[in-house]
Amino acid sequence: MEILILAFFAIGYLVLAGADIGVGMVLPYLGRTPGERREAIAAIAPFFLGNEVWLVATAGVLAGLFPALEGSLLSGNYSLVVALLLSWVIRDMGLWLRGRLPGVRWQGFWDGAVVAGSWGLALSWGSLLSDVLLGIHGLLALLPALLVAALFATHGLSFAALRLRGALRERAAVLSGDTGEGRTYALTATALVAIGVLAGFRLPLAPGTSGALLVPVILTMIPLLVASQAWVWWTFRHRVTGPSYL
Amino acid sequence: METVDLARLQFALTAGAHFLFVALTLGLATLVAVIQTWATLTRSPVHMRMTRFWGQLYIINYAMGIVTGLVMEFQLGLSWSGLTEFAGNVFGSSLAIETIVAFFIESTFLGLWIFGWNKLNRWAHLALIWVVTLTAYASAFWILISNGFLQNPVGYQLKDGVLRLTDFGALVANPAALVAFFHIGGGALVVGGFLMAGVSAYHLAKRTAEQDFFRKSLRIGIAVALPATLFTATFGGIGFDTLQPTKLAAWSGSARQMAEAQAEMVAAHGPGDYLPSLEWVRTSGIIMMSLFALLFFVSGASFLLMLIRPVVRGFRPWHWLLTALIPVPFVTMIAGWIFREMGRQPWAVYGLLKTADAMSPVSYGQIRFSLTAFVTVFAVLIVVNYWLLARTARKGPGEVALGDDRPAAETPAPALTF
Repeated sequence: MEILILAFFAIGYLVLAGADIGVGMVLPYLGRTPGERREAIAAIAPFFLGNEVWLVATAGVLAGLFPALEGSLLSGNYSLVVALLLSWVIRDMGLWLRGRLPGVRWQGFWDGAVVAGSWGLALSWGSLLSDVLLGIHGLLALLPALLVAALFATHGLSFAALRLRGALRERAAVLSGDTGEGRTYALTATALVAIGVLAGFRLPLAPGTSGALLVPVILTMIPLLVASQAWVWWTFRHRVTGPSYL
Repeated sequence: METVDLARLQFALTAGAHFLFVALTLGLATLVAVIQTWATLTRSPVHMRMTRFWGQLYIINYAMGIVTGLVMEFQLGLSWSGLTEFAGNVFGSSLAIETIVAFFIESTFLGLWIFGWNKLNRWAHLALIWVVTLTAYASAFWILISNGFLQNPVGYQLKDGVLRLTDFGALVANPAALVAFFHIGGGALVVGGFLMAGVSAYHLAKRTAEQDFFRKSLRIGIAVALPATLFTATFGGIGFDTLQPTKLAAWSGSARQMAEAQAEMVAAHGPGDYLPSLEWVRTSGIIMMSLFALLFFVSGASFLLMLIRPVVRGFRPWHWLLTALIPVPFVTMIAGWIFREMGRQPWAVYGLLKTADAMSPVSYGQIRFSLTAFVTVFAVLIVVNYWLLARTARKGPGEVALGDDRPAAETPAPALTF
């Protein structure tokens, strides 16, 4: 059960946050003017807080249920995890700060932070996953990492196509062709789930000794957590009609 | 510096930066929730504007709390894998509960509160800020259960060189955690109350257009800060009963007490130096207590002054004093943390695992790289965010983006051409 809980949060993160990371990566392509970029960001704005929290929960589950793995996985990939965290911080602050002041330069700078941070996140994830899945590290790991990053970007595009309208939606749907936006999203999401499951099989998932206490607590909480997220999804189920708070 | 010193510095800076923002998050969330409740009940427009203005400051601050918190959470596994391997089964449990029971919901609902403004039913919207506030306190509670365990380990059994949790009740009822939770909860309200009073005093002194708005805010800030200061000090006092003998000895500065504490530890754990740094413990403790005294006298006097309307409107020296005092509660809290954490040394888990043995097998170069990178990025972000907080506070409620019906387009939209 411990392993299923870890998988639930880790894969939930990949699918949900993968989409907003992807939108950040393709932001310059989606939004050609400051106004368009703000609208593209409105596609993910209500979700990104609730998406990244899946990774926070994954780390919490690691700390409580797999403490030995937490230590070896993070410290064993020290520089990669540091790069991941830095990208995450820079991206988040780009999202929060871009709308705080008017001015093209200020917003352009923080849009740059969103794009760079999103790419950094995707590539760090790619390198981490290629280390776990294929045992490749160093410069060579950049190849599979680029592949994973491309998957994040495609996933982001399909999510943006589901959320945006007009010219932005058309741009986002460039890879979908006749397949339809929903099916493309399902496809990229499935690919991310598959990567997550495979990575799980490669990790030494030996639970610690606190499962008897934590597993019931977490299982009781999961329906509540999903319901709280579903409330967000339901509230923002319609396509974006204009700029948001960010 | 040794590798372990760099790792400690990295954690201390991250935790310190995190706490600067978290303390204000807790304090302001509570104040915003109370004000929004009043606004929702009475439909008072000025209170709705207050909710948006103070809520805007809360959110600017909150964003920094998240990103510093992320780095802190991951740092446990990154640079302290010795600790997670040895004690993770016990103190990792409360960390796991924190993320699942508290932070997950706090973050999800905060997103809904921010972006769902004018979209959701106003009672649902009010419920959101209360859930966000209560889960923020729940977060603080579970983190302090983890921290309390490191200070005063309880409810565990040592088996095969690893700790396992045997008594969850004892872990949660740990006095070293509970007293700290109330001490810090009160401290957060002091931070929030003084910020609200200080910013309001600035506008009153400057005679800006929003006199009524800021007179009300100033009163709320002071009315919260005074009792919160007393509450915090009470639990700080009780906290002295939960201090480790070595910390207490260092604080007393008495050579006899220190020799006794040291001898006791040598008898229990073998030869070594078991006293924390005398200077750090005493200096930080003295700073915390003297600044508390200052905050107590100012909030007490301010409580009397704010009852007289002309004074609230026109007594400028008092306004400037309140504005100047905004940073003081932050410094006081950081000093308190230094007192608590430096006083725990040389232990990571008191009496069970030394800090030097808690480290990950990572190199000096790796830590130097991450320390440099984190310090650089966070230094820039902290400066930018404090500047933005100050700017938003100075501009007043007229230009708040939070809860705005129609977010302004930043540039005139060019005509679409197809």
